[in-house]
Amino acid sequence: MKSLIHALIGIFLLLVVWQLLALILNKSIVPAPAETLSLLAQLLVSGPIILAAWQTAWKVFLALLLVLLIGLPLGLGLGLSKTLYNMFRPIIMVIQAVPVISWLSLVIFAWGIGWKGPVFIAFLSLLPLAILTTVAGVRNLDQNLLEMARLYRVPAGRVIRDIYLGSLLPFIAAILDVSIGQAWKVILVAEYLSGGKGLGVEILRMRMNIDFPGLWALTLLAVLLGIITERLIKKGLGRLSHQWIIA
Amino acid sequence: MDHCLVVKGLSKNYDSLPVLDNWNLSLNWGQRLVFLGPSGAGKTTFLKILAGLEEASQGHIENYCRKIGFVFQEPRLIPWRSVKENLLFINPRGDFASLLSRLRLAGFEDYFPSQLSAGMKQRVNLARALIIQPDLLILDEAFSSLDLSVKTSIMEDINQLWLENPFTIIAVTHDLKEALYMAERIIILSPRPARIMQEIEVNLEPERSFSSPGLLQLESDLIKLLCSFQAEV
Repeated sequence: MKSLIHALIGIFLLLVVWQLLALILNKSIVPAPAETLSLLAQLLVSGPIILAAWQTAWKVFLALLLVLLIGLPLGLGLGLSKTLYNMFRPIIMVIQAVPVISWLSLVIFAWGIGWKGPVFIAFLSLLPLAILTTVAGVRNLDQNLLEMARLYRVPAGRVIRDIYLGSLLPFIAAILDVSIGQAWKVILVAEYLSGGKGLGVEILRMRMNIDFPGLWALTLLAVLLGIITERLIKKGLGRLSHQWIIA
Repeated sequence: MDHCLVVKGLSKNYDSLPVLDNWNLSLNWGQRLVFLGPSGAGKTTFLKILAGLEEASQGHIENYCRKIGFVFQEPRLIPWRSVKENLLFINPRGDFASLLSRLRLAGFEDYFPSQLSAGMKQRVNLARALIIQPDLLILDEAFSSLDLSVKTSIMEDINQLWLENPFTIIAVTHDLKEALYMAERIIILSPRPARIMQEIEVNLEPERSFSSPGLLQLESDLIKLLCSFQAEV
């Protein structure tokens, strides 16, 4: 309850600063919060924006799913084998260093305009984080527990489920924590630059029409969606982790 | 086959550091053997070789025991699994309920390790070793961190289980009373590199008490013996 009150105070302060900026600066560049919210409501009622938001949302989910499905096993392998880690570390560093716009140029050339480009770019942007965090999780494993399992010749499947997954769960939560917001940002930028369908394309349209209030309304929508997705995924993860959490 | 275990010329080095030096011994089924030696002598190393967790540098162990239960010095319980789940992790078909009841843990099946006292955790550690119905039970300074009353109570439980169904026990400790309470044979080890210095037969009744005059007399003899070894060193 206390944390909710603190969060509400934070949101209130943000709205105050926003309102002050709207008063100080040109209203057509920074519209007031109330105006932005009412415009957002109008946009949502009109329909196409909801469709665009959905187009972006499923790309975010797909990118996150791919990151977990590929990043976790890779991280597990690299965490267990020093040789593999040394082999793949330079590749991970290169992927981390390549700018988003370079990937974008490549994917537009390869696949043209469409959903594959933004998903692929978000996937590549988040993959190094997922791999390296999982590696850190594997290295953090309690060796005594693994030795105990080895002594009793416990089958590998049970060791992975009961020891590895339990130990890695806080690290998986950390990956998702950082990745959700990042995935939204990268997908929006990729849509903005490569076109197709989605909220990023709608933001581009607002900019082309020099519709700053519209731009603010869509930005607010993107922020709200980012927060909602984070909450939803965390809640799901909380349920999933229930059986691993210490009572 | 009377022997469940035969150790022949066993030595272990970690790089240039000798830890075990030329061990030779044998153990019959159902016997209770305790290694008594100073900390860091290499007792745990021997147990790890015995359990197949480490390789010997020289010599070998003929181990005829199929199922080995190991009670670690620290409980090594999976923190996010309940007491029951920690046992089922080792043996999904094990009769955890009656075992927990025997070890005074009835009603704690669904508790997590963080909710248990040190003594209870060590009882779960023991239950986990017993759930496979071992031929050989290894105790690696299993009670060293427990207070006297908890230690005594757990050891009495082990003794009772052994009296009902004798399984082979190998334990290491540096506590004389603990050794005398548990063992039929005590092997005294030198400081590192550990060598077998002397073997002592403990001719006490199987059903023992920590305060029995016989045990106290043997403890006093053992102290004198260890002091004489120390004087030689």
